[in-house]
Amino acid sequence: MQVPPVRTSRLLNNMMVRSLKACGRALSSLRLTVVLLGLSMVLIFFGTLDQVHLGIHAAQAKYFRSLFVLWQPVGAAWRIPIFPGGYLIGTLLFLNLVAAHGTRFKPSPKKIGIFTIHAGVVVLLLGELLTGLFAKESMMRMDIGSAQTYSEAPRETELAIIDTSSKDDDLVVAIPESLLAHANVIQHPALPFMLKIVKFMANAALAMRSQAPDVPPSLATTGIGPNVVATEIPRTVKQDERDLTTVFVQINAIQGPLGTWLVSNALGAPQSFDYDGHTYELRLRQKRYYKPFTIKLLDFRHDIYPGTDIPKNFSSRIRLIDSRQKEDRDVLIYMNSPLRYSGYTFYQAGFDNNDKTSILQVVNNPTFILPYIACGLVGAGLLTQFSMHLVGFLRRRRP
Amino acid sequence: MRLIRLSGPALGAVLSLSCFAGCDNSKIEVYRVEKEHDSQTAQITEASGGSSGRGTVTWQAPADWVEQPSSGLRRGTFKIHGKDGGEAELSITAFPGDVGGLLANINRWRGQIQLPPLAQPDLAQVVTPLSASGRNISFVDIVSTDSIKGGKKSRILGAILPLGDETWFFKLSGPDELVAARKDEFKKFLETIKTEVTPVLASSAENSGSNTNAPTPPVLATTAAQFEYKAPPGWIAQPLSPMRLASFKVTGTNGAEADVSVVSLSGMAGGDLANINRWREQLKLPPLSEDDIASISSHVNMNGHDFLVTDLVSAERLPPLNHKMRIVAAASHQGEQTWFVKMTGDVDLVGAQKNHFLDFLRSLSLAGATRSDESSAQ
Repeated sequence: MQVPPVRTSRLLNNMMVRSLKACGRALSSLRLTVVLLGLSMVLIFFGTLDQVHLGIHAAQAKYFRSLFVLWQPVGAAWRIPIFPGGYLIGTLLFLNLVAAHGTRFKPSPKKIGIFTIHAGVVVLLLGELLTGLFAKESMMRMDIGSAQTYSEAPRETELAIIDTSSKDDDLVVAIPESLLAHANVIQHPALPFMLKIVKFMANAALAMRSQAPDVPPSLATTGIGPNVVATEIPRTVKQDERDLTTVFVQINAIQGPLGTWLVSNALGAPQSFDYDGHTYELRLRQKRYYKPFTIKLLDFRHDIYPGTDIPKNFSSRIRLIDSRQKEDRDVLIYMNSPLRYSGYTFYQAGFDNNDKTSILQVVNNPTFILPYIACGLVGAGLLTQFSMHLVGFLRRRRP
Repeated sequence: MRLIRLSGPALGAVLSLSCFAGCDNSKIEVYRVEKEHDSQTAQITEASGGSSGRGTVTWQAPADWVEQPSSGLRRGTFKIHGKDGGEAELSITAFPGDVGGLLANINRWRGQIQLPPLAQPDLAQVVTPLSASGRNISFVDIVSTDSIKGGKKSRILGAILPLGDETWFFKLSGPDELVAARKDEFKKFLETIKTEVTPVLASSAENSGSNTNAPTPPVLATTAAQFEYKAPPGWIAQPLSPMRLASFKVTGTNGAEADVSVVSLSGMAGGDLANINRWREQLKLPPLSEDDIASISSHVNMNGHDFLVTDLVSAERLPPLNHKMRIVAAASHQGEQTWFVKMTGDVDLVGAQKNHFLDFLRSLSLAGATRSDESSAQ
């Protein structure tokens, strides 16, 4: 017996609708809410404990800003998911909340308070997700009198290959640390040669070879590398330390290898080489974010209460120069009074060098407003709900 | 159905955001920055008379010109008082770029005193070229035909000075009689103008190369090789790598495979001979000399691009498949980039696909594009 095509498509449609409804019922289940909240508590518990071993940023990335918590057996190159991560639990909670509203809640003026509270929670969940994905934090370290057009990521590095041949400007090819760690060969249209990553060390202890004469010869063949001994050490988990990322990189031109260099953010001076009539600098540095404006540090003040060493105030007086927007003004940045400009927020974060160096934290978070909106929605929802209950209660008491 | 309406878009949005979470930020960035000066600290010039990121202009004003505080866009303001109580004002401003050009700015001033705009051919008749500090200044003297303010005609003496990436404007405006009387004085004032384009640098031993001498924003540009193509039938697109801008796999009827790659390198990428010999080496063929290139390769023009096309066949069967291999490769120099399109694989399959390869070359539109992009550096 043959089924007419129209009936087949109707059957398929019905099946799709049924499966979508089943999916919706599962997603809107209260049991799922309880399970997800339970999983969140377990995740937060272990994530907090593991901060001792990983440090706050690595623990955040591993437990909360991931789809799954991955486990890597000692000595293995592979990792397997062992627990849902923060993004997965958050996404499911979000869907659970939306689906529950879709299936159970009937729009009614009486429920406007509840609805607003839930909308606030949804915005809060989305806000955290978007902040994790898009917010960037970096630091601007300046001496008094100096001007700077970039900020630096405190924990990420990059290998900058800088063509310094032009009289006016430098052409920078910046290769991120994640690529250095995982790629064997790197090639880019802007580079007339290939890079072979001979060895990548996320953190290393460096010493001059003269201090350690018995260690095997270096992998580096040119630059300062042959005179330096690099020993791989575990990544630091301390807040006030940073990894000394060290890479042995071989440069292969069409004629053959030009040499192997050791590059590290522990080395002060860049190393350079000539190829095809151009001079290139190699510099492993903290990842830079260039801005379309300039900040000049005019003065830094570290005030203390008279007769004590107790800090009273830290402040940086800067000049903001943006010729595109015709901005040229002085700004005082001090504790709890940041400069907000062009999507960036500059906070007074630290100082160094006998109060001659100021450190500003630079935050670029396009969704910074969402938690404020979420709090406003939850507050308004609570107020509405309680007021409605109060009015109802008072009416009932009236004789 | 209400459930589907509510959760569908939300599901899509959240899943796509979750995909971002799994993505690794491993993009190579390319940009231009102003040169850094190690062991030097930028000192933005604070010379009297105003300063700018691109250039500094100083001047000597006559004693009876009363200087006013600068504000906003003003780099300098002076009041000039006449004997009859009249008052003229000299304003000094600077803006990035050419601010529309000479004609637009002169017509703007003419508009301020209710004069009709000039056409380009008339410009030469009203502009007087002057010189100060070795730089050309365009000087104009315009007077209104009607009374504008206080029953008096108005006059504007204007001077326009292009300096570096900026244009400086000196405009003396006020009652006709007063401004006309001060014309020679204004011209002498213009002669006192001194300019300096580069900022003054002062050394600081405490810095170790972390500062730049850039008081103005760097010109950031992301360079990227861009191209368009049409893949022939049967060519299956493959994942890209940092080296490859396009990648395809072709499978023959007998299961033999061929690989097609598109790579772009800056500069001459070693030259034609070195590349051909590299490909020959891959087929275990002996290297050739410069004189032999013409015999094994030919120049063809495809879609306006000149390609050097080479066709090489290995002399013996090669591992790992133990097939005879063939490489058909094309190289084209476009601006500062050299493009390579290469097909490697089983000798029969590559032979059968050669026409498709040439069709692919014909479909290519190559460019070494540069676009301004601030956020990509961030």
